[in-house]
Amino acid sequence: MIALLSSFDYDGARQHRGISTPGANRLAACRLLRQRVGPTRKNPRKSDDGDRPSNWPVSSRVARACRARYVCPLFALILAAVSGCRSSELSTRQGAGGPVRGGALVASLRSEPRTFNRYIDNSAAADATAALTQAKLVRINRKTEELEPWLAERWTASPDGRTFTLTLRQGVTFSDGVPFTSADVLFSFAAAYDPKLQSNLGSALRVEGKPLQIAAPDPATIVITLPAPFTPGLRLLDNLPIIPKHQLDPALKAGTFADAWGVTNGPGHMAGLGPFVVSEYVPGQRVTLTRNTRYWRKDASGGALPYLDRVVFEIASGQDAEVQRLESGSIDLLTQADIRPQDYASLKRLRDRGALTLIDVGTGVDPNVLWFNLARTPPARAYLQKSEFRQAISYAVDRDAIVNSVYLGAAVPVYGPVTPGNRIWFSDAAPKYPHDPERARALFAAIGLTDRNGDGMLEDASGAPVRFSILTQGGNIRAQTATVVQEHLRQAGITVDVVALDFPSIAQRWQSRDYDSIYYGFQFSAMDPAMTLDYWLSSGSLHFWNPEQKTPATPWERRIDELMQQQIAAPTLDERRRLFAEVQKIFGENLPGIYFIAPKVSIATNPRVAGAEPALLDPKILWNPDTLNVTDGAAAPHR
Amino acid sequence: MIARQRIGLTFAAMLALLVAFAPWIAPYEPARQFSTHPFAPPMRPHVIDDEARLHAPFVYPLRLVDPLERGYVEDRTRVIPLRWLSGTLVRGADTEPWFPLGSDGLGRDVFSRVVLGARLSLGVALLAAVIALAIGALTGALAGYAGGWADSALMHLADLVLVLPGIYVVLALRGALPLVLTPRQVFTALVLVLGFVGWPAAARGVRGIFLIERRQEYAEAAKALGASPLRVIARHLLPASLGFLAVQASVLVPAFVMAEATLSYVGLGFAPPTPSWGAMLQDAGAARGGADAPWLLAPAGAIVLAVFSIHLASSGRDPLLWRDGES
Repeated sequence: MIALLSSFDYDGARQHRGISTPGANRLAACRLLRQRVGPTRKNPRKSDDGDRPSNWPVSSRVARACRARYVCPLFALILAAVSGCRSSELSTRQGAGGPVRGGALVASLRSEPRTFNRYIDNSAAADATAALTQAKLVRINRKTEELEPWLAERWTASPDGRTFTLTLRQGVTFSDGVPFTSADVLFSFAAAYDPKLQSNLGSALRVEGKPLQIAAPDPATIVITLPAPFTPGLRLLDNLPIIPKHQLDPALKAGTFADAWGVTNGPGHMAGLGPFVVSEYVPGQRVTLTRNTRYWRKDASGGALPYLDRVVFEIASGQDAEVQRLESGSIDLLTQADIRPQDYASLKRLRDRGALTLIDVGTGVDPNVLWFNLARTPPARAYLQKSEFRQAISYAVDRDAIVNSVYLGAAVPVYGPVTPGNRIWFSDAAPKYPHDPERARALFAAIGLTDRNGDGMLEDASGAPVRFSILTQGGNIRAQTATVVQEHLRQAGITVDVVALDFPSIAQRWQSRDYDSIYYGFQFSAMDPAMTLDYWLSSGSLHFWNPEQKTPATPWERRIDELMQQQIAAPTLDERRRLFAEVQKIFGENLPGIYFIAPKVSIATNPRVAGAEPALLDPKILWNPDTLNVTDGAAAPHR
Repeated sequence: MIARQRIGLTFAAMLALLVAFAPWIAPYEPARQFSTHPFAPPMRPHVIDDEARLHAPFVYPLRLVDPLERGYVEDRTRVIPLRWLSGTLVRGADTEPWFPLGSDGLGRDVFSRVVLGARLSLGVALLAAVIALAIGALTGALAGYAGGWADSALMHLADLVLVLPGIYVVLALRGALPLVLTPRQVFTALVLVLGFVGWPAAARGVRGIFLIERRQEYAEAAKALGASPLRVIARHLLPASLGFLAVQASVLVPAFVMAEATLSYVGLGFAPPTPSWGAMLQDAGAARGGADAPWLLAPAGAIVLAVFSIHLASSGRDPLLWRDGES
């Protein structure tokens, strides 16, 4: 039940992510903002890799104000990606002789790791390292969306679908040689649910706000009981890396868990079940991971995995630096993988020379959204509350113009939060709003907004001009999109003030409900809507337009609540899809948030990278690190 | 007046004229977006077509053939005559725009934005530089001339401002201001903020010059002849600092143009779609303007021109070599 939200700036800032859960998920969201605004006293290793330029520190005043509040926003900028790449392959080619063993893969990291402990840090750096050094009980295959056995080699479910008995893989050892048992699983859950740690992983591992019950009848068996019906079931476990009890139990007991596996004491000492171990960290330069010789997974022919000897994360400050390094061949791929429209032309030139591989992954699943403050609308602008007003705006904006100019054609128009990229859950029956200025005018007129003084702009019944502000983050693709929206609404007779602010200031305005509208984005970690209940339910903390309602404020939100509750417990996929299609239709009719475009996602790698299976969800390439390989393998020891 | 100064003043006058008549010179509204023409290259006017026929000045329309690679071709089968004095000095047709300096990522005319952006960007930068230099010269002169505790106190104050993390101050200030700011409010806030943070460097330099110059024979002579401290400062010592101040001005003006763009990150710049040189250059950087759309760097050229004219016109002394310009 994970909605992994992240934010990354288009102009070279750093990625920020967090985990959120449906239901009572204040803490998870709060962690995110804490992380974004800087270290907290309670948890001094919280990462601060928010999406602001590195040369502007956050005001301590803003930071304090943000920390003081329990809700924090989970905004995230959606990296627009590029398409148009004509590449036919969806994975990088394997050499003729199959995967090559040896060699090193060099990836970029946009932010410095603060700790290697994923339980207390949800930054991109911690997440990437955890993906390579730890393993989970089960894994969602990012390519097929199927649930795959991982540390648990098989499982059975009770008839009511709430109790799962998992059999752990035999003979698996941590990288330090200590055998892996069910005690490590129990310990991992205990750490995730530890009230003192408030781990974002723990808050994600809940159903209707309640933790899962875990039991270990023997060293090779785990029994998991869900507190309420939840059809996606074990998919919840995809995000929980299993950590070694023998290494971290003393720290958890002593209350020093947050300091364990810090960047200064961690490297070389961390035991994991993943394909690599962290062997070196040079601040400001790189994190080096070397092959875990005790890794448990084998390839199809029974050969040992991983193929690579080393993975090196080079720390690049900003996206421009990252792309330049990719172009010069000094890195093989971007960890936060997709490329920006403006980089496409030069990357394609390199592709044409055979110096780069471009892969078209598909339509992005995380569009930016313009949402209105439906929680507290100033009386003078009561029209913001009317769905006709929002529908009219949706008609007034020419999405194709945004696609053509801001995204250079590498995007598609969308009308709701679920894009065609989410093939299983996208409903084509949801309302669409093609560009239609006449219809927009008619809808504005229907709620009393007409040009009363002949100046070409609309006024309300009192004669006041129709005007509202859009808060967005300055200096990136969102600000550009907001500028296009502003121009189209000016043509429709509405004055829009685009206010570019830094992220903490937007968060603060959002928390205090002091805004008209915000254009921002957030990123799902899962395609399945059951994992993103925090967005859909009126009680959710990421129900942006009116979060954490005690009772649904409107009949349509009540209806969506009911449908989503039915949806997560519905027994068949078809039934779940039918219910979710109805949710999308209701959303599209009421438009609490207006979606304009979804970028097409393209990623670029060095041609030496093989075995990559890029996915739309993060981590787009590094989700299968053990089968990645480099074609020059051991022949390139210098890398 | 020497020749160099005359050239500088000519440039400055041209800039002033451009600023004064900006709305009439700019072919299009700076906010107008031609969504079919993102990143269009500059369009060269012609008078002779492909069949060697003479025309009034015209351009060939551009067609976008590859959006992602920003590839345009000229449609040589049609000519778009330039229209003179139809609302603006000269412009293309309404449906087929003419971009003398190309267009930006949203299909807006770069030339119009540079011309109209000059008003705000140069206005802010020049005014803020004047304030910064005035405060700096005054403080530096007092400190350098008086010496002792006054010198110590003033220079500590300058140090304090230098180490003040400006961005925090701006964030706090932005929090206290209304959410939506009018261009006039932004202008005032920017001039004050930039003027305030810009003076210490000038103050230190002027103080250093005063420390040396006040012991020179001409200053001692003035004092011996009974000149008041004010007269010694204003007539004798301050002119010695003019070269330094001119150099400072030429450093501060472009720095302030860019600072405005940086401040727009934290909500204290001109809001879109208001054109400003700093924001345009920042967009150019984000759009890899240097490599793929060099015309987006037009504001940089404008800044160079403005600073150059300041250099040339500023003083009889060579501001760079700091010696008498006529020697």
